[in-house]
Amino acid sequence: MLDRYFRFVRAVSINRIGLLGVALTTASFITFLLLELARLLGVVTQAYVGLISYMAFPAIFILGLLLIPIGWKRAQQQTGLSGQDLLDAKFGEDDTRKGFFGSRVVLSIGAMTLMNLLILVVATSRMLHFMEEPNFCGTACHTVMNPEWVTYQESPHARVACVDCHVGEGVEALIDSKLSGLRQIMAVVSNSYERPIPTPVHNLRPARETCERCHWPDKFYGQRLKTIAHFAEDEKSTPEYTTLALKIDSGRRGEVSGIHWHVAEDNEVRYLAANETRTKMAWVEVRQADGSYKRYTNRRIAASGDSAEASGPATAGHEADAVRTLDCIDCHNRATHIYEEADDAVDHRIERGLLDRSLPFLRREAVAAISGSYSSREQAEAGIKSHIENFYRRNHPDVARTESPKIDQAVAVLQDTYQRNIHPQMRIEWGTYRSHLGHKGGGGCFRCHDPALQAEDGSTISADCTLCHSILAQDSPAAFAYLGEADSTSRDFRMHEYLKAEFLSYSRK
Amino acid sequence: MRTDRILSGIALALFLLVPAGASAQQSEAAGKCMVCHKEKSPGLYQQWANGAHAAHNVTCIDCHGANKGDADAFMHEGAQIATLVTPKDCGRCHEKEAAEVQASHHATAGQILDSNDAYLAHVAAGEPVAMTGCENCHGSKVQIDPNSPNKLSKKSWPNSGIGRINPDGSLGSCNACHTRHAFDKAQARQPEACGKCHLGPDHPQKEIYEESKHGNTYFTNVDKMNLEDDEWVVGVDYFIAPTCATCHMSATQNQKPTHDVGQRIAWTLRPPVSKTLENAPAKRENMKDVCVACHGATFADGHFYQYDAVVRLYNDKFAKPSTELMKMIKDKKLLENPAAFSNDIEWTYWELWHHEGRRARHGAAMMGPDYTWWHGMYEVAQHFYFKLIPQAQELNDPEVNAWIDKLLREDPMHSWLYQETGKLKEGIKTGDMQKIYDKLFSETIK
Repeated sequence: MLDRYFRFVRAVSINRIGLLGVALTTASFITFLLLELARLLGVVTQAYVGLISYMAFPAIFILGLLLIPIGWKRAQQQTGLSGQDLLDAKFGEDDTRKGFFGSRVVLSIGAMTLMNLLILVVATSRMLHFMEEPNFCGTACHTVMNPEWVTYQESPHARVACVDCHVGEGVEALIDSKLSGLRQIMAVVSNSYERPIPTPVHNLRPARETCERCHWPDKFYGQRLKTIAHFAEDEKSTPEYTTLALKIDSGRRGEVSGIHWHVAEDNEVRYLAANETRTKMAWVEVRQADGSYKRYTNRRIAASGDSAEASGPATAGHEADAVRTLDCIDCHNRATHIYEEADDAVDHRIERGLLDRSLPFLRREAVAAISGSYSSREQAEAGIKSHIENFYRRNHPDVARTESPKIDQAVAVLQDTYQRNIHPQMRIEWGTYRSHLGHKGGGGCFRCHDPALQAEDGSTISADCTLCHSILAQDSPAAFAYLGEADSTSRDFRMHEYLKAEFLSYSRK
Repeated sequence: MRTDRILSGIALALFLLVPAGASAQQSEAAGKCMVCHKEKSPGLYQQWANGAHAAHNVTCIDCHGANKGDADAFMHEGAQIATLVTPKDCGRCHEKEAAEVQASHHATAGQILDSNDAYLAHVAAGEPVAMTGCENCHGSKVQIDPNSPNKLSKKSWPNSGIGRINPDGSLGSCNACHTRHAFDKAQARQPEACGKCHLGPDHPQKEIYEESKHGNTYFTNVDKMNLEDDEWVVGVDYFIAPTCATCHMSATQNQKPTHDVGQRIAWTLRPPVSKTLENAPAKRENMKDVCVACHGATFADGHFYQYDAVVRLYNDKFAKPSTELMKMIKDKKLLENPAAFSNDIEWTYWELWHHEGRRARHGAAMMGPDYTWWHGMYEVAQHFYFKLIPQAQELNDPEVNAWIDKLLREDPMHSWLYQETGKLKEGIKTGDMQKIYDKLFSETIK
């Protein structure tokens, strides 16, 4: 049998072209099998190997197959013999004799072709499957995707595949994403991609289709306690706590309303942003019970379009395209690819015990070290190390001597913090991608909950602090400071009393 | 002094009881304001929180709370409030101070709109400058704009001038000196508080003070001024140097502090010709009472003897003649253009009294020698002899020219113009020249 196979192969390899075809096909098939085995066994994990095994090898395989008939044709031309003559010359009589289903040669070719098709189908499906793995998205375009890959892996969505959010379901979405991928490859090859990658991403799938598969609005009810620890810039890096009881209700009709009121079934909020990054609103509309929309217009942005603010999407003609209905992404714009701010990053790591605040002025120096301006990642590593080490050597020599393991640990953690957040090759610095959650620095919620947005009747969107959260501590020494008894000699005694009463009365609702 | 403290203690206790007894709603609003403003305007909040108001539990709503009928009241997050806090609001607790302010010259500063200063800004410059220049110090009438989020027209807000004309009928703005939201008495006691407005070519009180011995001692010893002291009695609680407030407002061993800044001022140095004010001798005694906390009585007497003579010199030698000359020219309609300030000579006369004339007088009042002479009387003389007189003579009116000729040749203060230098120097040496000015000196003031 094997003998017959070899004879067949020898016969098919009619000339050099045919031989090459057979060699390529066979070699690529064997390599594909070996690599696939290695990948399945976990010996090889690199995405580039996947690229070769799923894209290059099937291509070579097909090329080889094509070469065989080409070689055959060529042989016909050179020898002047007909196909039948050549067959006769190459194969024995047994093989060419016509049977019921055709000659053995024809049967062999048929069987081989079927097998090849099977191999190709398997390879293609493996390829598509492979390209749906986060590993492919995250590491195939290493430079471009690395920052997103790094942040994704540490995110709350680390176990949700990229394609679950970024690519839709069905053939159309698949084709769309492959075409878009092709454009991106062109951009990488021609080195014309933008750095940093601009946001918002305009062709993201509708958030309500993706996010709400897991997080549907009916699930948002009650209060969610959140304690944020900050550390002061004093010697002890004294902790200060802000505790919020976030009112996250979706506010279904007749029930208590909270933050997810915005996405509740009965409600619709839409807006026209005044800038590309959607940090300023030209107007915001809220659908009323009668189906009309109440518009709150930003009186700080000139309506005539003569200011720089109003150019871009707010210009009259494009208004219809630029109006957006508020969904998850308008607030949770960094649900996965979360970049930290330098001070928050240090606070988190002190809180988690990665940085030891028994080191004097640790918080202040740590923020200074990672906020420095460094031209490369290597320079940053060296800079952070020398900043921290020099600080203790110069100002606290005894600490530098006795606490060197803690200092070494701090240096390592800070270097890691920097590398996680800062990506010079993509021009991602501190604050490049800001989160719209909350209202740090006046953004986020305050983009719309801004007294500058005014309806025609003069009303504004409430900016009441306890609208969305009760406050149980605010930069306080204890995490639930305001739940305690208010001290009447304290300067913020009235505020303390108010916040305690507000929380308790809301909780009883 | 003791009974004062006891009384103010009782007043404070009563005051603290009032908010405690106020409606729960009011108390809730107080806490609610603080929650947001701590986050949204942290600087403002911290100023307040570190100040005396916070220490005594006086919160946002206590000053900004408004009644529904108030012209500037608006609803803000469930509370009826007003942005504007007027002396009437402050006076609910600071009654004496508010009353003194209403009676003071400061309270009249908003009436600038009818004065030459405002006319000039409106015609020679334009409304934006009248607002940001004149009215920024003087204050202006607060205009209500129903479409404005806080009901205040942007053409009159911000408006923290000391003579602001408020919708509730009160005059002034306490935060002109007691900068909001700290309202720190130490800050108001320092010369910088006054220096926002009392400076520049037309009334350089701040610069004169800095030049004076009082000022340079203060600036080199500001840390020894005990500025946070409650009573802050000069010579008792501090002794290094006086500030503007020391002489014009603050307590002495015999006087209570006053917010009527004119109570110790005998002359008005503001108009073209200086006049003594009502009750000038008593006001002079009030001022001398401040001086003697640190100086001997004869030292103080000597200062005023010299200062009064400078004012009279300015009045008699330059101010009265130039004022009379200008009146004659206007009465005879000799000027080319009809509008005030449309002719060169009007600007010359204006600067003569409003700029250099005041500099000379203020310089003498507050012991700034350079301002008395080089920035002051030297320029008065130069502009009188070589600008005002020649510009008047160019009008070619025989009567005016005859008047000028008579003044310069017959008034012994001016006739030096026609004498020989050598003889004049001889006169100075013998004291004859000085005798011309003897009439200006007097031990008393009327």
